[in-house]
Amino acid sequence: MTIDPKDFPALADEYVLGLLDEATADRIARDLESNQDLADAVAAAQDRFLPLDMAVEPARISASLWTSIEERLGSNNARSASGSPETPSVRHAGNDNIRPGWRVVALSAIAASLILAITLVWTTMRTVEPVVVAVLLNEAGEVQAIVEDFGNETAKVRLLTDFAVPADKTMQVWTLPSRTMGPMSLGLLEEKHSAVLKSISLPRPKETQLYEITLENSGGSPTGRPTGPILAKGFAKLMR
Amino acid sequence: MTIKQAEYSRTDGYFGREDGTTLSADLSSDLETALLACATGDRNGLRRIYDSEAGRLVAVAQRILRRHDLAEEVVQEAFLRIWTHAHQYRPGRGSARGWIYAIVRNRALNMLRDGKREDIVAEDRLDALQEAGQMDEIMAAWQKLDRDTRLRECLGGLEEVRRRSILMAYVGGFTHGEIAGRLKIPLGTAKSWIRRGLSSLRECLA
Repeated sequence: MTIDPKDFPALADEYVLGLLDEATADRIARDLESNQDLADAVAAAQDRFLPLDMAVEPARISASLWTSIEERLGSNNARSASGSPETPSVRHAGNDNIRPGWRVVALSAIAASLILAITLVWTTMRTVEPVVVAVLLNEAGEVQAIVEDFGNETAKVRLLTDFAVPADKTMQVWTLPSRTMGPMSLGLLEEKHSAVLKSISLPRPKETQLYEITLENSGGSPTGRPTGPILAKGFAKLMR
Repeated sequence: MTIKQAEYSRTDGYFGREDGTTLSADLSSDLETALLACATGDRNGLRRIYDSEAGRLVAVAQRILRRHDLAEEVVQEAFLRIWTHAHQYRPGRGSARGWIYAIVRNRALNMLRDGKREDIVAEDRLDALQEAGQMDEIMAAWQKLDRDTRLRECLGGLEEVRRRSILMAYVGGFTHGEIAGRLKIPLGTAKSWIRRGLSSLRECLA
């Protein structure tokens, strides 16, 4: 008996809600591996209801929970564990039946490595160019610095003038990803010269996004927001 | 190995910012990267998932199982499965977070419905006070949704009893039979209400 694809969304919902009888649920779980449309429907259903889980108050967890997980990773030894404690079909299988399972695991591992390799090459090539460049000006409209934001927590700041920074002060670089987020720090310019800054992960920089450098107390703004005078500011242009 | 990890730490942010303009989208693609790391045997990937999600995952399992110790047990099992099955996650198909939460939910439901079910029922579920508390918690899950989420709005558009049934199933892990019993309606009625409720919900969210 095959399931009519037009029933997939309804079945997927009941599967995700845990409402199917055991036999049907097992069958769906099995079919997910081979039936792309069914797998898509289930993934969509999972994401539809996910907000109900995201709204939960996180529970306190025992300090030992991670240790227990890690210990079991050790004894399971990564790939070799694949399936064995989980997949019922392997549990009762004889040696002859296990071998194809291993092959699948090995192939999946190879496939995963390939995806990784391709992704890394692609990423490395993509990150050579900044996503945006902002030319920062002072109040008089003179070019003071250039910020290249690579959109991967990395921004390069090139200073094009000598800034007068008192001994107890430091320059801090900011951007405004959105009004709701407010200004976010890209990092401190401890030395008064060009530097590559690492920040926390921020939204991908956009055209006309504001960048600025302010003068803050050593160690950076105590509030996490710019408090000192603005030394230079400018708006981003997307690299084309 | 160390080189591979270093490469990863460089790619993190990139994925994190690929198409997200909101912080939550960022965090979600971080999970994607973390799963990819797990698939290559990098334990840091699993640790990152643990650090950002474990508290919520335990809470989700606890809503279903009503016991903290069992919830942690489920999450422990789930993390082993995430580790061994990370290579099965397909980035184009649903969110990484949805994939991770589904593993925990499935294990919690299995535990509830396996042998341990009777114990859990005996110790906790039949306690009327506790059950009232659970009902409040189940309905609160809907009320706690962000005001501007479609799911909140669409659930709000359902008849009260349909909304309640769907939430009892998803949030509390109740079966058709249990829902029918709690709402004092025939089993067939409960099934068809839920089916129609889910159908309206899909239409509303489409």
